[in-house]
Amino acid sequence: MSEKKLVIALAGNANVGKSVIFNYLTGLHQHIGNWPGKTVEKAEGTLHFKGYRIDIIDLPGIYSLSTYSIEESISRRYIAVEKPDAVINVVDASILERNLFFTLQLMELETPMVIALNQIDVAKKKGIEIDVEKLSEILGVPVIPTVAIKGIGIFKLLDKAVEVAGKKTRPKKVEYGEDFENAIRKIEESFIDYDLPYPRRYVAIKILERDKEIEEEVIQKNPGIISIAKEVGKKLEEKYGHSCPTLITSERYRIAGCIAREVQKIISPPRPTLAEKLHEVTTHKVLGYLVMGIILLSMFFFVFAFGNLLSETLSNLLYGLKPFLTFILETGFLGELFWGGIVEGLIAGATIALPYVIPFYIALYILEDSGYVSRVAFLMDNAMHKMGLHGKAFIPLILGYGCNVPACLGCRIMETQRERLIAAFATTLIPCAARTVIILGLVGRFIGIQWALVLYVFNLIIIFLLGRLAFKALPGEPTGLIMEMPDYRLPHLKTVLKQTWFRLAEFLKIALPLIIVATFTVKLFEEAGLLEAVNTVLSPVTVRWLGLPEAVGVSLIFGVLRKELALIMLANLLGTTDFSYVLTPIQMVVFTIVSMFYIPCIATIATCVKEFGWKKSFFLTVFEILFALALGGIVFRVLSILVNLF
Amino acid sequence: MSIEEPGKKEVPLTNLKDGESGIVVSVKSGYGRAWGLKKRLMDMGITPGTKITVVKTAPFHGPLEVIVRGYRLAIGRGMAEKIFVKVERVE
Repeated sequence: MSEKKLVIALAGNANVGKSVIFNYLTGLHQHIGNWPGKTVEKAEGTLHFKGYRIDIIDLPGIYSLSTYSIEESISRRYIAVEKPDAVINVVDASILERNLFFTLQLMELETPMVIALNQIDVAKKKGIEIDVEKLSEILGVPVIPTVAIKGIGIFKLLDKAVEVAGKKTRPKKVEYGEDFENAIRKIEESFIDYDLPYPRRYVAIKILERDKEIEEEVIQKNPGIISIAKEVGKKLEEKYGHSCPTLITSERYRIAGCIAREVQKIISPPRPTLAEKLHEVTTHKVLGYLVMGIILLSMFFFVFAFGNLLSETLSNLLYGLKPFLTFILETGFLGELFWGGIVEGLIAGATIALPYVIPFYIALYILEDSGYVSRVAFLMDNAMHKMGLHGKAFIPLILGYGCNVPACLGCRIMETQRERLIAAFATTLIPCAARTVIILGLVGRFIGIQWALVLYVFNLIIIFLLGRLAFKALPGEPTGLIMEMPDYRLPHLKTVLKQTWFRLAEFLKIALPLIIVATFTVKLFEEAGLLEAVNTVLSPVTVRWLGLPEAVGVSLIFGVLRKELALIMLANLLGTTDFSYVLTPIQMVVFTIVSMFYIPCIATIATCVKEFGWKKSFFLTVFEILFALALGGIVFRVLSILVNLF
Repeated sequence: MSIEEPGKKEVPLTNLKDGESGIVVSVKSGYGRAWGLKKRLMDMGITPGTKITVVKTAPFHGPLEVIVRGYRLAIGRGMAEKIFVKVERVE
């Protein structure tokens, strides 16, 4: 007996508990990937329910179905074109009006839907009571009160979703004011051969609203209609004194407001809750920064203490296997190649990236789920604006000092692709723990700790300048912070752990092969005795331009695998760990600056590939190499002149 | 849609002191690059006629924390300057 199949999509605002419901429904049967051709995350899962095999698609958390962001246009296209059997609209019961604004837009797509009235317990605590039946009646959509973190109402929700999917129940029509209805009707009537994937009425509303995407689709089929819509729209604009997009958005909010007032009763004036007091403290002009300092530092230490421990344990364990493996594989060229290339790469991946990514994801999701990230963004917005980013970017930047890999992944918290890219670019230039080894181990130890600090400041200045440059160079909208600050809540640990687990799996799938291939290639060169040749080939750059010893060429290449290897290899190749014998202070500074900027390590490159695709990562890498070399050469010459002067 | 009362001037949201409220009159922007941000502000509920309360401003000329339609929103200063309101002063 074959199971019947259903596809159900989860849609709703951000911070409403959508991911908790998704994780509750799909458990461990989920897959995190990207939408085809996009860098927006796509979470899918399956479950079996009453003889159905149900695919659940978790759409991104959004506030509207316009085309402001890729997330919005993906969600809209998905619901209209792929036509899931039903949509579960997750709604925050304590912010009903704004959530209904989104619900109304979903209803216009005429897909069978169910509303999960989530966090009904939080709403009650705030003194808000909702007449569920009345709401359901007004919208013509089943409404199920839920408390997702406790699993309350989820079974009933799924049951209803299956029911509406089977019956193909359409939600009620959203009635606009009279003038608007007339305008919509006029546009609707002018369609002749209608064959767009969207409902007719929806298209009429959208072109009245001057939605660019829909307009283009209409122009290809019925160009005349746009001019009719413009004409009708103009009359509305003259009457009300606002542009049509403004008018329709206002009208939708008016309807949402009416419904919300009709179904909700504010029982008691809310007194300040613990969540509100926390909000006061964490956004306070003095205390806020203090708390932020403490929280971010503890996160930093948690990630690196836990990471170091895990890293050491794993590498001891894996290197412990070496005698056993070499015994099986017999030594010699092939054995060396296997061990040095593949296994070392595996170990590098497992001991560098992995241990830090796990605690980082856990910490990040806790901060995000609890609502704290938005407070940090609030406090740091102004500082980040100087770099063309907004407040949220502060978090990946700080994390970059530990390891660039999780920091790059953290750039996801930015809203637009462009902001993610600028933030990631800035992040890869932040000296991570491995680069700190070089800065402190070379300049700090042999020239003086104050010079190491000077280098850190120099690095910040360069990042700031490059950030501004990237901001100017990359096309796109000016950035600005428009961000909900949701009430604080206890993060749901199970969801946090599941989110960590599935994103980790996705990360390994992409990053690990790349790391292994790179390690293998370097090993191959080494075994083939080509390293000398590489040094010679690179000598015009390393020796003539940068004024460094020839051995630097190979050590910089090793630095691609792990940044601190650049220094370790240099010690090996020069035959001493006392660099004061073999390098002048200027050479040390130049070498450190080049290592600081020249390339994100292979694990970071792999992460960028995962987040931004091959092309952008390649461009980023090449830019950083050229920039570091240029900068190194300039610093070498400037310092040489200065030294001669004094 | 909006009720005109004499003696009330339109001011940018950034002119409001902490704790003051106003009624949104318009969100200024051209049809150029900033248009998306205007749309976004409206999608978040800042439409003409809506009551908006400034809770506080982040230090160093930072963003504004406002309450609109029963929830808390942070708006960058540059954008807040484009939101024009009529002030409701508490006597």
